[in-house]
Amino acid sequence: MKILVCIKHVPDMESRFRVNEAGNWYDERDLAFRLNEYDEFAVEQAVRVKEQLGGAADITILSIGPDRVIEAVKKGLAMGGDRGVHIKDDLVYQKDPWQVASVIAAFARDKNFDLVFTGMQSQDRGSAQIGAAAAELLDYACITTLVSFEISGDVVTARRELEGGMRGAVRFKLPAVVTCQLGLNTPRYPTLPNIMKAKQKELLTFPIADFLNVESLAETEKMYPPERKGRGLVLEGDVNELADKLASILKEKAPALR
Amino acid sequence: MYLELNEEQKLIQETARQFALAELEPVAARLDQTGDQEIFWSNLKKLAELGFMGLNIREEYGGTQAGMVAFSVAITEIARACASTAVTVSVNNLVCDVIQAVGSEAQKKAYIPKICSGEYKAGSFALTEPGAGSDPAAMTTSAALDGDTWVLNGIKRFITSAPYAGVFVVWGVTDKSAPKGKGISCFLVEAGTKGLIVGREEEKMGQHASATTEVMFEDCRIPKEALLGKINDGLKTAVVELIGGRVGIGSLSLGVGLAAMDYATRYAQKRVQFDQEIVKFEAIQWMIADSYTELEAARLLLMQAAFRADQGRSFAKEAAMAKMYASEAANRACYTALQMMGGYGYSKEFPVERYTRDVRIASIYEGTNEIQRKIIAKEILKNLQQA
Repeated sequence: MKILVCIKHVPDMESRFRVNEAGNWYDERDLAFRLNEYDEFAVEQAVRVKEQLGGAADITILSIGPDRVIEAVKKGLAMGGDRGVHIKDDLVYQKDPWQVASVIAAFARDKNFDLVFTGMQSQDRGSAQIGAAAAELLDYACITTLVSFEISGDVVTARRELEGGMRGAVRFKLPAVVTCQLGLNTPRYPTLPNIMKAKQKELLTFPIADFLNVESLAETEKMYPPERKGRGLVLEGDVNELADKLASILKEKAPALR
Repeated sequence: MYLELNEEQKLIQETARQFALAELEPVAARLDQTGDQEIFWSNLKKLAELGFMGLNIREEYGGTQAGMVAFSVAITEIARACASTAVTVSVNNLVCDVIQAVGSEAQKKAYIPKICSGEYKAGSFALTEPGAGSDPAAMTTSAALDGDTWVLNGIKRFITSAPYAGVFVVWGVTDKSAPKGKGISCFLVEAGTKGLIVGREEEKMGQHASATTEVMFEDCRIPKEALLGKINDGLKTAVVELIGGRVGIGSLSLGVGLAAMDYATRYAQKRVQFDQEIVKFEAIQWMIADSYTELEAARLLLMQAAFRADQGRSFAKEAAMAKMYASEAANRACYTALQMMGGYGYSKEFPVERYTRDVRIASIYEGTNEIQRKIIAKEILKNLQQA
């Protein structure tokens, strides 16, 4: 079984974000980066499949971006990946999801992966397009927002998270791209010896030009913090007056009371 | 000059931070109040399985071989959540380091993997005695060779983890006629050996989950091969290995100090007095500025000592400076954090009260700060004489 896991290195979401000088992305300086949370579920599930198969699987961990993304790749390797692939691009944030998916597809096309795992979205851009677009380009089945995953032979049964608290049960054959949602699993902590051994695993680096062969379809023109919403309304006065004011506001603003 | 952790060190720090947040922080207050050993041991076991008990230990003995910088950042992250757990991890690492440094191949293979894997909950470092604290050479525990066994007699005091340690590194006098400090040797004693008696637990001010007891040796017989390192060379081993332990205690201090200031600063952002958040008062801002500056200085001193250790350079002076400064900065940070929170800081309902108790010992154990200053001055004067 050949497995590809596509991961992204994203800023810690508790960081204070500032718009960059060009005004089209956030400023990366002073940010701490980590493995995208949803991609952590993807790595974990891939490693569980390998364990289920008694080790008869080969896991490639792929990330696109500047040199710092190697840290995320190494975490994937420490969790159980077999080899890392770094597609180097210092300006990956300027690529649209279509281009990123195309690069993944171009890398994966002749390599006969049976399963491609990725997060259902990145915590920073959050387009949720990469998995689906890459699947289309590879002509693979695509199943998104998985919260359970069981494999037997080349058939997978899984559950998807739907809106409104509903679940969907799906069954599909390999090859497939699956995107992983919160609740699929609890990722393991990489052990310290495995962190140290990760640097001995194979790490291949390619320039993005080797795989980039499409123009962008959409461009981020501007990034900006949303306008601050107005502050809450503070009512003052004596109790009777307040009650009347409140009642009239509720009548006006809350449709259910009309 | 490159002041940045490498990828492995960052991942180790992240793993320690995530584990501490998820597993240690939620139970730290309970461990402090009840000393619940089952939870404490279970967390030690998980930390061992992740590789935190032998950061400097070679892979062949079950260690992580990640180095002193990784050890420092790991201890700091653990201590941000639970100082009792952090000190136990630090001492376990220290015991492994002693055995790796001077042990025979058979000793290394017999004991280090058991501490690293968590098969032993802990290892104990039994140097201090009722009459030999800052002056370990004044110890009176004796070790006499009788045929093919050593016979130990004496009392050790303030021994971390003794009730649940699997193995003890014990120092005793093997040559009473030698000049002071030149007749001391080091031994490995397994828990359960006849004549090794674990005494009552100290009722300490803080770090409650970590047990500290007296250990008595009454005609305790151990095999001849239990001698650790060279005969009569034991004090040197203790002195050299404690250098690394000081990086551990300094890192622990930093973690507790940061935890206290992080908590109090968030509190000050919400607490309103005189119609505004108290963080808007300059008095509070200066506390924040001073404390974080001192903690950052402590971090840099620790990183310098750890970096030198990883480079194979001498780091006795740097480790003493880092331990001394970090433990005092952290004590001041906890004092400040408690002050910022007023009455709530003094209440057991909030963690700053615990941090303040937990951090107090850091200027005392692993060599009092007075001894650290003596080491620092000695190193400086030594170099001046050479010039």
